[in-house]
This record gives sequence, C-alpha cells and structure tokens, in this order.
Amino acid sequence: MERNSFKSDGKEEKEGFSEISLRPLHLSDVDDFMEWAKDDRVSRFCSWDTCTSREDAVKYIKETVIPHPWFRAICINNRPVGQISVLSYPGEYRCRGELGYAIAPKYWGQGIATKAVKLVASSIFSDWPHLERLEALVDVANPASQRILEKLGFQKEGVLRKFYIKNERTIDVVMYSFLSTDHML
Amino acid sequence: MEINSSKSDGFLDISLRPFDLSDVDDFMVWATDDRVTRLCGWDSFTSRDAVVNYFKDTVIPHPWFRAICINNRPIGQISVRPYSGGYRCRGELGYAIAIKYWGQGIVTKAVKMVTSSIFSECPNLERLEALASLENPASQRVLEKMGFQKEGVLRKFFIKKGKTIDVLMYSLLNTDLML
Repeated sequence: MERNSFKSDGKEEKEGFSEISLRPLHLSDVDDFMEWAKDDRVSRFCSWDTCTSREDAVKYIKETVIPHPWFRAICINNRPVGQISVLSYPGEYRCRGELGYAIAPKYWGQGIATKAVKLVASSIFSDWPHLERLEALVDVANPASQRILEKLGFQKEGVLRKFYIKNERTIDVVMYSFLSTDHML
Repeated sequence: MEINSSKSDGFLDISLRPFDLSDVDDFMVWATDDRVTRLCGWDSFTSRDAVVNYFKDTVIPHPWFRAICINNRPIGQISVRPYSGGYRCRGELGYAIAIKYWGQGIVTKAVKMVTSSIFSECPNLERLEALASLENPASQRVLEKMGFQKEGVLRKFFIKKGKTIDVLMYSLLNTDLML
C-alpha cells in the first residue's frame, strides 16, 4: 500500500495514512487495542504493563479506559491503531494534565503520534478551561517520543531522576510541558 | 523555659521528634502565619479546631512528620511524604519554621538530619524530592547546600491562592554524595 506521509488537501482517498482521527475506545475495539497493548516494544516505555490476554484487555477497557477523564483511540479510517490520553489531577494540581500515547509498532515512523499529540494539544485547553499545563514524562531511553514533543513546541524542563519504578527498575524521565499560553509549532 | 537564641549555629539544641496534640499551640505560631505559608504549598490555618483536626487526620498518623525543636519545644516542622504504586521510590520533603527563627541555619540542620537517616529508615526510598517556590531563594540555598540537584523549573505546576505557580524541582538520590 502506498504511504503518503504528508497531509493532502483531503481529496485523496487511496492512502489511508495521511488522515488520522480521534474517538472514544469501545469494548468492541478490544482486538485492535491488543495490537499495541500486548506488545512489549510498546509497553516498554509506558507506565503500564503489557496486556497478556484478551480478558486483561477487556478488564483494562472497562476499568480504566471507559471511566477515564480523557481517553481516545487514534484511528486511521476509523480503525484504532493507538491510544492517546490526558489524565487530570485533583485539588491544587488541577491546572495540570498528563499526556500519554502509544501506537502499534507497524504504524511507527509515519508521524501518526505527532499528528495525534498536535490534535490533543490544540483542543484540550478548550475542552478543559481549568487546564493551564499539559505535561508529559518520557523515559530518557525513548528519544523517538522526546522528538515528537520537541518538534511540536513542548518545553523540556529537566530530567527527573529515579522518578518511577517499571518492572522493578527505577527510571529517569524527561519532563515536558506545553502551556495554554505556549505556541504550537 | 529559656531558649538559647544565640546566632551561632553550634549552640542551638535542635532535635526532631513526632508531634502530639499538646504541641497544637506551638504549631499554630508558624502555621497561621501568612509570611511563612506564603512560600509553602499549603495555606495558613485559621482556627485551633482546624489544626486539631489536621493533627488527628494527618500529622499524627503520618508516616514521617516531625517537629523541629529547640530544647524540645517545636518551632517548625519537617516531613517526608511517600508516594505509592509506580512512584513508591519517591518521597517529597517539606519544611517550615516560625519567622523568629529564620536565618539561623536551623532548617539546614533539620534537613541534614533527615537526609542522613531517611534512606536507611525507608529502604524503598531512592529519591527525596523538594519543590521550592521561585520566590524562595533561602529555601533553594538550603537544598543546594545539602547536595540536592536542581532538575528544572516546572511551569504552572500548582495553584496557590487561586494563582498558578512555577516551582523548582530538586532531588537527592540515595546514591548521591552528600556535601
């Protein structure tokens, strides 16, 4: 299949990779969801663990995805190829939201995550008027994800050392933020 | 009770101990003072009842909350708040002392007492972090003197009295060398 890596004026239909859309993830999407959720290459850099069974995936969708404050499937031709979410904080931290995203490996390297993050960063501040800061924590060993955020104009604030534990190992992360007053590139 | 208020660091008998309900009035000296709480993540208490409830709900059951004492009399507080789940390797350091004791190296001493023992007391702790307001250079200096590493400015990180605040993130790891 031809891959068009830049957005056309919308008239081309053949190349499905130039347009992405975001929509809620449903239980009926579970098999597509597993394409990335069961893949260690994806979960390796995420705070969540790999889904090891369809039951696990169904449970995750019911308990985490559906009640989530802001969780979307990243779709190509309405078919989920990844996920993107913004987690809210309570109380005096409600000015912040944490961005997270993951894409199935066969769709890596095509600018899909970049497009998805851009869509979210351009709309979340009007969806959530109390939000002033969108932040993202990226494993220091994940330069591909760091480049996405830097390309879009997120500000790198620093490396937070031994910030969380993944598979019994403490991880250093890079903290990025994009403010409601920042300019998206 | 005589309190030795000599400005020479070495003459002040500083100690840390848990709070109990009999310390409420001493606690109120700094906890109701806007000049102190202005630079803290929390707001001034406005009644004795609120403080008593805070002691019962938070201070006394807290995993690590201590009075900073001079001659066993509380003049401030220092605490390490542990995180849970995937963040259980982290603890957040916080401290405050009554205005009349500022500028005498007391907080530095108290922080040093914590950093020299907290990692052995809490074996799961690998990272002690502290957030300092950008408008609080005195607190920044304490942390830097104690070997904390400044990691960066976190913009619009929390809301204080209706306004979003930028803070400096500092950390000290169990593997760091102490100055």
